Amino acid sequence: MGRERWGAIGLALLAIGYLLAGRRYPLDTLATPGPGIVPLASGLALLALAVWLFAVAGRVGATRISNRPPTERPGRADPATTSGLFETGAAPTRPIQWSALIMAGALVLYAALLPRLGFLASSWALVVVSSRLMGLEGWWRPAVLALGVTGVAYLLFARWLGVPLP
Amino acid sequence: MSDLFVALTPPNLLACFIGTVLGTVVGVLPGLGPAAAMALVLPLTIKLGPTAGLIMLAGIYYGAMYGGSTTSILVNVPGEAASVVTTIDGYRLARKGRAGAALAVAAIASFVAGTFSVVALQVAAPLVARAALAFGPAEYFAFALLGVVLLANLTGGSRVKSLAMVVLGLMLSTVGMDPLGGSVRFTFDLAGAQAGLSFVAVTAGLFGVAEVLATMAEPGAAAPVARVRFRELYPSRVELRRSVPPMLRGTVLGFLVGLIPGPAATIASFVSYGVEKRVSKHRGELGTGAIEGVAGPEAANNAAAGGGMIPLLSLGLPFTPSTAVLLSGMLLMNVTPGPFLLRDHPQVFWGVIGSFYVGNVMLLVLNLPLVGVFARVATIPPRYLMPGVLVLCVVAAYADNNNLFDVWVVVGAGIIGWAMRGARLQPRAARARAGAGPGPRAVALAGAHDRARRDQRVVGLRTGRGHARGGGRRLRRSGRLGSGPPVRHRTGVERRHR
Repeated sequence: MGRERWGAIGLALLAIGYLLAGRRYPLDTLATPGPGIVPLASGLALLALAVWLFAVAGRVGATRISNRPPTERPGRADPATTSGLFETGAAPTRPIQWSALIMAGALVLYAALLPRLGFLASSWALVVVSSRLMGLEGWWRPAVLALGVTGVAYLLFARWLGVPLP
Repeated sequence: MSDLFVALTPPNLLACFIGTVLGTVVGVLPGLGPAAAMALVLPLTIKLGPTAGLIMLAGIYYGAMYGGSTTSILVNVPGEAASVVTTIDGYRLARKGRAGAALAVAAIASFVAGTFSVVALQVAAPLVARAALAFGPAEYFAFALLGVVLLANLTGGSRVKSLAMVVLGLMLSTVGMDPLGGSVRFTFDLAGAQAGLSFVAVTAGLFGVAEVLATMAEPGAAAPVARVRFRELYPSRVELRRSVPPMLRGTVLGFLVGLIPGPAATIASFVSYGVEKRVSKHRGELGTGAIEGVAGPEAANNAAAGGGMIPLLSLGLPFTPSTAVLLSGMLLMNVTPGPFLLRDHPQVFWGVIGSFYVGNVMLLVLNLPLVGVFARVATIPPRYLMPGVLVLCVVAAYADNNNLFDVWVVVGAGIIGWAMRGARLQPRAARARAGAGPGPRAVALAGAHDRARRDQRVVGLRTGRGHARGGGRRLRRSGRLGSGPPVRHRTGVERRHR
């Protein structure tokens, strides 16, 4: 099963969860709609669109894109074009994106630690981790970069604009 | 009319300069919008007196429209809601080494549109404001529906995917307190969620954080941006020639949209982009880094900002959060906007209009020389730039409402935005390292659109509009219009929707 179908399944599950959570809000009448009417309508719409996406995934897109006139195709520099993605619709085989996954985890940790450690310490650590994951070698350069980025952000937002950073 | 030259007195020139510089900075920084910045400097402007004070506030308002495109073009993080559309082609132009051209065209388009809207404001204010007053609930609904339909068609590629993302955006906008009924939805007892999901946090996550994660996932795919010579920083003759028609179309469209209640600058920008996709000679290139995709929307959002001043000055009706703050400022300075403003305070009326001309020239002079400096940002290697973008996104999200919950929102939106790329919830043309694609963009715009529509309805209900067609006219006849207390949004709303 392709990624587009997994995406459609994800959307359908989201719509179902949303509809279930929205059951507690009254619908009232069409003349005086209650707080549940928009969630019901949008949840059903997303569910229908997810089913549609699941049905057409993997066939319509490839056909339609390959039938585009040449002017509508992306530029030569676009890696998707050069790799033949547009013509085949094939999913690229990529290694597990560990650095991005670690970064996602670091961001969650950052959000959790921000109120405890404060903006300066937690943001300094975040920049060090992210710059290391981006390929900046050694520890000195990430540490100095983190100091600069955090310091500038603090001066700009907290000192100059008066934002009460944690 | 001679009062127009009031804007040229040294104190007013200084106020205009400070306002436009502050507005540009606020526009460049995601998170802090013009409404919040205007509210911050409100105490200072009261001390300056009504003319200079209002000139400074107005300078922040339209200066932010100039600056909003900078981060959209350079790092794919929109400085303003109205600049979300600019990311589509602006960021791609930057990746091609044409950041300077995109920034310069954005500044020129802003200048052309800003100047046109002031002329139109001066000439046609009373006439067009009357037409805008004819809007009733049915027209509001049709306008909201138009926005949704445009969104689904605007984002390019698969319409089903775009529509799904638009619906997802609408769903996100239902989180929090309903401004009409007061009921709290989908907050799961989280106190921070009661104000709803911050548009800034969602946008910063979907665009900025997701971009950082995608760059980490595929470091080789981020093609290095070529260093260009100084003279190549500015648009070529061909680029300038191609920019003229969308600039003019965007100006007229933006001005007309600005007269209509709602998030005019945002809607104007995507209406302009939609029109370009239909009528531009180079419509096939839109979405791949076409200069038309920058010129049209940037002209439209600036023209809409000018158009939005008409109902404020002529009728005392603020149709956007920024003009609502401006209205508050006027009332605090004992200046009542509306039909009698010209009669009672001619110096203020013409002084503010005159400052628009001066301010637009100042902004062009300020922005064009800075193009080279800003364009260099696009050439910074990702390993140095992206950690900074990450911190900027988090601070921007937090600064919107000073709410720690928004930090969770920006992180969540970033991870979801990255997952959306993986799940191909954006057409292929936009996927490959070209920034957040139409999927996240549709989610962000739909959320902003719906939230702003509903908040605007609250403004409408509280000012007597929206009950029935012609309500504003009746109020105007009865003399109540514009003399009431300043319109108050609930906390954070002003800052959220610019």
